[in-house]
Amino acid sequence: MPKKYTNCAGLAGLLAALVIVPHFLKYHHQDFLIFLTINVLVVSSYRLVTLTGEWSLIHAVMMGVGAYASTLLTKSAGLSFWISLPLAGCVAGAVAAILCFPLFRMTQFYFLIGSFAAGEAIRLCWIHFIQPFGGTGGISGIPFPELGNIDFLEPVPYFYLVLVIVTLCLVLLYRIEKSRIGLTLRAVHWKAPLAESVGVDTWKYRSLAFIIGSAFVGIAGSLKVHYLGTVTPNQYGIGFMVFILIWVIVGGYATFYGAIIGVVVLSILDESFRGFEELRPAIYGLILIASILFLPSGLESVPERIRGWVSNRAAARNGPGIQG
Amino acid sequence: MTEKKLTTSKMNRREFIGKTTAGVAGVALGTVFPRISSAANDVITLGMNIPMTGDYAPWGLPGLYGCEIIAKNINDAGGVSIGGTTYDINIAAYDHGYDTDKAVQGFKKLVLEDEAKMVMMLGGSTVASVLPWGTRKKVLTTTLLPSDITPDSEYLVATCESHPLYNVTGVEWLARNHPDVKTAAIVTNNDVEYGLQSAATYKAAFEVAGIEVIDVNLHGFDITDFAPIVSSVLAKNPDVFCMATSFYVTPLMEQLYHQGYQGKIISCTLDYYDEIIAKTSQEFVNGTIYQFPDFDDPKLTEEGVKFPDPGGFDAAFRKDHPNDWSAVSWEYPTIALNWIEAAQTAGSLDTDDILAAMKSTEQQFIFGGGQWWGSQLWGLDNTLVGRWPVVVIEEGKARIQEFGDVAGWLSSNTEVLVKHMKEMGLRVV
Repeated sequence: MPKKYTNCAGLAGLLAALVIVPHFLKYHHQDFLIFLTINVLVVSSYRLVTLTGEWSLIHAVMMGVGAYASTLLTKSAGLSFWISLPLAGCVAGAVAAILCFPLFRMTQFYFLIGSFAAGEAIRLCWIHFIQPFGGTGGISGIPFPELGNIDFLEPVPYFYLVLVIVTLCLVLLYRIEKSRIGLTLRAVHWKAPLAESVGVDTWKYRSLAFIIGSAFVGIAGSLKVHYLGTVTPNQYGIGFMVFILIWVIVGGYATFYGAIIGVVVLSILDESFRGFEELRPAIYGLILIASILFLPSGLESVPERIRGWVSNRAAARNGPGIQG
Repeated sequence: MTEKKLTTSKMNRREFIGKTTAGVAGVALGTVFPRISSAANDVITLGMNIPMTGDYAPWGLPGLYGCEIIAKNINDAGGVSIGGTTYDINIAAYDHGYDTDKAVQGFKKLVLEDEAKMVMMLGGSTVASVLPWGTRKKVLTTTLLPSDITPDSEYLVATCESHPLYNVTGVEWLARNHPDVKTAAIVTNNDVEYGLQSAATYKAAFEVAGIEVIDVNLHGFDITDFAPIVSSVLAKNPDVFCMATSFYVTPLMEQLYHQGYQGKIISCTLDYYDEIIAKTSQEFVNGTIYQFPDFDDPKLTEEGVKFPDPGGFDAAFRKDHPNDWSAVSWEYPTIALNWIEAAQTAGSLDTDDILAAMKSTEQQFIFGGGQWWGSQLWGLDNTLVGRWPVVVIEEGKARIQEFGDVAGWLSSNTEVLVKHMKEMGLRVV
């Protein structure tokens, strides 16, 4: 069977499993699954930005932009969730488009610091302008989505909603990465001078990745606040950004699925150590250090390493004569 | 080179991975298999959805320690009788690290899996995130911040700390005992939940006491250098330096000491005041007014105080957790005791019955008095206010001076309080 069909069958199996899984989980783990699925979209959208070689520290804040936009559109403007969800992505994308002008005058480390500063400026606006953002206490009483008789306050229906939207977003992100645009983004990363020499506008492509990534994480922000019912500036601070970086780095960022593996594995590990509250940060830290020491290419490299280990063992068993 | 290091060390890489995996698996298995209870009585579980790690842990973990002492005392004494059945008390806690996602998960775990009859929380955004589900499922939830209460949050109550309403008693005592004081400066962090609420309350209290507020200095949470803040405030020469919230009391006190401040100091809390004395001097800290007593205070044995054996509780806490006493050490236990009393009055474990019993019983506040209040500010009378202690450091030790009447102050001065809340942009119904 061609690899393409094998992958499709695998993905279909995974989706089918995800449809069934919530019914076998404890109630609070169903919530965990919702947040985990949203975080899958967060890291996947962040990876698109990193394709150009630029690592930003503003992605969590852009998620907050989407969250606040969706909140204000539903609470203040009275729009329904179904309209505010895509609009939240548009607002986050628009804010990213404006930020491109100052931010992409910088590259590498300077871009990293510049993006952090821009993110903090946005976050401080949420804190200082109590109207309309609610200050540090944020905004509460955000309405849940409404669709017929479906009760989205319950975790299973909301998980299915999140699953559908995140799957659609992942398909779009995957298509973008595999398209001509995606190839150009990689070229901008690895061979920027060469790309410019053949007429590629690197500023434009860096900006494009940043805007698209921000738009998708804005949608993730909207999905999150309409389940939590509250939005605060602290949810989208540097603390959450550090988690995004850890998920991507530990998972690996060479492949589309690396960052997803990172967020899934680390989130489940973190949740597994409940009951050892005072030790949890230390255990989490040890796992991180160990994974960076022993898996510098991320968790995504594990299958390759296993294949290498198996073939080496086979070669050793067959002896040097065979190789010769 | 790395390979060589690994092979010549006592534990090679393979052993390291194997042993680490075994250790991790052991820890993980420990979470899967819960402790087996040996209790003979039926068990009632009370939940704590609190921060036990992170920046807010000092307002969570000591409360858990306190509740564990109370639960042990009750269970050792044979349990509590509710509706003719004797129950042991079990405390189930979930660490949300002041994260809203985790708060939602923890709340549902406590209610649905641990079958907690009540969930105690610190307050703020973590409470807001659990309210929609909690209200629909009629989960009795408590907060230390009554500003979390909304007109719709029928099952959210503040039965112990009513931050920051009790601060008015300290200002009242100050004005009465130090009539020479004419001006005050307020310093606080600029968050809505703790800082601004507290600043507005202190402003109202100072206005009622006839003390002019000459400066309100709001700072962010990310501040590390308090010298410029203290300098700019002291340049205005206030008679009273007021710290409206507790996040940065220690560095502010250090700066006041180093910059030679000699006026009166009033603060919402003075957690870990032993450390402050160690960093400054006993002479400097003496006379500081605040609101949270030690529980070995002789005045807590007076009539009207409802906490059972406060001295014994204080001693037990400090024996097991010598460096962890904070304001919440006794607040969460007080909330638990309040719930037990209400359940006994109701003779039922039903949430509606217990809530009705809570609201029908007068004189039930921990320090005496007791009146349900709050509709003027937050839309529901779900905050229990009563007498509250005014504490002063004397000879390096916290000593209650008197019990002020919060409810009495509010009945006369609600309009002033509402005015200052509105001026600071805070939600008022």
